[in-house]
Amino acid sequence: MNWIKESIMNFDKPLTRRESIKKLLQLGGSLGLAGAIGGSLQTPKVVNAASENKKFIIEGIGQTEGYSVRALTRKVFESAGGAGRFVSKGDVVVIKPNISWARRPELAATTNPEVLAAVIELCQEGGAKKVRIADHTINDARRCFALSGAAAVAKNTGADLIHPRSSLMKKMSLKGNRLDTWPVFVPLVEADVLINLPVAKHHSLSRLTIGMKNWIGAVGGSRYSLHQDIHQSIVDLAHFFRPTVTLIDAVRIMTRNGPSGGSTSYVTEKNTLILSDDPVAGDARAAMLFNHQPQNLGFIRMAQEQGLGTFDFQKLAQQKVVL
Amino acid sequence: VKIRHLVWLRRTLQAFFLIFFLFLVIESRLPQDVYIDYNMAFSADQELRLDQPVTFFFQLDPLIGISSLLSGYTFVKGFLWGAGILVLTILLGRIFCGFICPFGTIHHAVGTFKPALKGSRMVQANLKTSDQKIKYVILILLLVAAVCGLNAAGLMDPIAFLFRSLALAVLPGLGAGLRSIFEIMAASDFKILNLAGYGAEILVSPIFGYNQPAYQTAWFIGFIFLVILFLNRIRPRFWCRTLCPLGALLGIFSRISILKLEKYAQKCTACNLCLKHCQGAASPRPDQEWETAECLMCLNCFNVCPEDALAFRFVWSLERNRQPDIGRRALLGGLTVGISFPLFARLDGSIDKDPDSRLIRPPGSLPEKEFLELCQRCGLCMKACPTNVINPTLGEAGVAGFWTPRLIMTQGYCDYTCTLCGSVCPTGAIQEITVDEKIKQPIKIGSAYIDRGRCLPWSGNAPCIVCQEVCPTSPKAVYLKADVVATSDQKSLNVHLPFVDLKRCVGCGICENKCPVRGLPAIRTISAGESRSLSNQILL
Repeated sequence: MNWIKESIMNFDKPLTRRESIKKLLQLGGSLGLAGAIGGSLQTPKVVNAASENKKFIIEGIGQTEGYSVRALTRKVFESAGGAGRFVSKGDVVVIKPNISWARRPELAATTNPEVLAAVIELCQEGGAKKVRIADHTINDARRCFALSGAAAVAKNTGADLIHPRSSLMKKMSLKGNRLDTWPVFVPLVEADVLINLPVAKHHSLSRLTIGMKNWIGAVGGSRYSLHQDIHQSIVDLAHFFRPTVTLIDAVRIMTRNGPSGGSTSYVTEKNTLILSDDPVAGDARAAMLFNHQPQNLGFIRMAQEQGLGTFDFQKLAQQKVVL
Repeated sequence: VKIRHLVWLRRTLQAFFLIFFLFLVIESRLPQDVYIDYNMAFSADQELRLDQPVTFFFQLDPLIGISSLLSGYTFVKGFLWGAGILVLTILLGRIFCGFICPFGTIHHAVGTFKPALKGSRMVQANLKTSDQKIKYVILILLLVAAVCGLNAAGLMDPIAFLFRSLALAVLPGLGAGLRSIFEIMAASDFKILNLAGYGAEILVSPIFGYNQPAYQTAWFIGFIFLVILFLNRIRPRFWCRTLCPLGALLGIFSRISILKLEKYAQKCTACNLCLKHCQGAASPRPDQEWETAECLMCLNCFNVCPEDALAFRFVWSLERNRQPDIGRRALLGGLTVGISFPLFARLDGSIDKDPDSRLIRPPGSLPEKEFLELCQRCGLCMKACPTNVINPTLGEAGVAGFWTPRLIMTQGYCDYTCTLCGSVCPTGAIQEITVDEKIKQPIKIGSAYIDRGRCLPWSGNAPCIVCQEVCPTSPKAVYLKADVVATSDQKSLNVHLPFVDLKRCVGCGICENKCPVRGLPAIRTISAGESRSLSNQILL
């Protein structure tokens, strides 16, 4: 009941309502109530490459038999300059994986739990005060988190699982071309560091769902109507949610019957992780794993046109690591 | 042991069982921190189950055990607990009613903390009346109906009644009320208030349900619950004395109980204190003959008697106690209604001729006839369902199936890898299945069809593939064909038109649930095609 004590003891200082929500939510985490959300209201920081002002893209590939996905994740982050490049001491880190479906990890409908665990550990080593996993799932969140392994990861690493609930959806102005006011899953905008951690999958309408489409899981409301203009909706959301960095899980990719899949026969092992601070480049590189040309995918092309990033890899600092 | 200690023992046990019951009601849902080891879950489907023995009180309840045995020829899981209660009743009388039953405890508390009657009016209200026969009529009716194939015991069984009322009406109702208070608090300008408002929301959700649950007919369930509570103001423990079929059953078994109320008439000063405190209207006064079958074993009369004119003693004799006051008319009435109810209830044809297309039963449900032989309408499956899709029926299952479970896809959907409802069903009306069985057999609960006039791409309004996207089967039962349709201004629109492959569709209803066409979705689910029925089929 620390937060109650603290909040009562501090009442000489007036707080705005928004601050008080924030404060409560920060403290709420210490109760171990995973429903609590938090973070500061700072905008996610823009990370510039330390050595050069270019954006970067790093591809990690596991080539040796029986390589460790965790080790590959660490190696990819190391070559980007370590987790310390993105996370500062005392930060609240929010990770947005794709855990839309209550499917077991093997089916590649959800972000690989090993990758998730590695990223959480990296953030914790980087000094994060709190690491949170937040996703607005399609199936019931409890079942999605449990079956995908995310709940076990949270338990083992001490990260908080933030369950989507209606009180955490707040109307915000997205200022998009197509989307205006929309309910947003608050913990994702109230973070010091926001990490997008999608899994790369086939999708029946947008053809692929990778990083930028992952933000559909960050809003509430009648989000199933977004499909009526899917590409612009994806770009509008990607414009609003600006992650510090995106790590694309392409260890196992779903090549057919996406996004929910349901059979290992749709899953191909690519043993690849793509880390980038350019949301367009990351998606474009992942699209190539599916033998798609990036410009043929509406949301990638439109995102470049609307200035979110580039799939001209020459403009980026490119790296490749193997394990 | 002094008698005072025994009364406190009773109060302690009553409180314990009531709290345990409430705890199990609250725990009848997936917790938010449920997890499984993903190394195990990696390549094989794991079953998510509840940690607590949520069916415990249903196992303890001999009426549920006996009615299931009579109608479905099934020994329910844990029926030995119920048998144990019957043995206990043979030894100690209706000790279950006085010491254990959580519904009895609620009535006891309502009548004790705020008695509606005072002095001689209370004495008057505690005199045995012939109304108390009604419970035997109800018991006979329910048991005879069970023999005739319709198990409606759960409508009146106290455990099922209380669970249904709390889980479907009281908890969601209180939750809705509390949440609206917290919303007002959270919107306030006082810091303490809005902090407390947000915090409280987090604290109450695990108790009152994570997403505000909603249940068809919940208002009616709640209303009846309040009426039953209110009746305590007319006569204390009205339900236990007059209506409860389980009390009637235990009353019959108490005929040979060896714990007897000994009366010493010569000591009695006719102060009526025993009568004033009698819970069961069981004629405790020494000048009356003790009604064993009505006595709730509360021990109050023994406790309050200032003259030691009353005492409960173990008497090892073959002499039977006073006969339960059933009466021939009650017997005949119960028989008549008990036989005619199941027969009349079949006349709407819902079992034999025309199953309602809206009657989608939970996965693993027995065929309709067998289902009605076992379902107690307790609401446990409805409380446990993580998507809130399972609802009590109103008329969809006919009068015979009133308040039995039915899936309403606009409220939730049957999660493809979820098998929770069958695992909590106390009687096996919904069989416990595994994810593997559910997916591989597959267990179908119905099938989906598309309403092309409402469907966005079919009607030329907009592209949409949501039903196909969310379809969980592999390959997908909802499939797409690329096509060009004309819009209202005669432009052409590139769309993917959805179709349903009935061979693959399991009727889970997620397509209906997620369809962006609100109101009446453009893809809907009907019960036809359910694997539990041989006749309710579409395909060859």
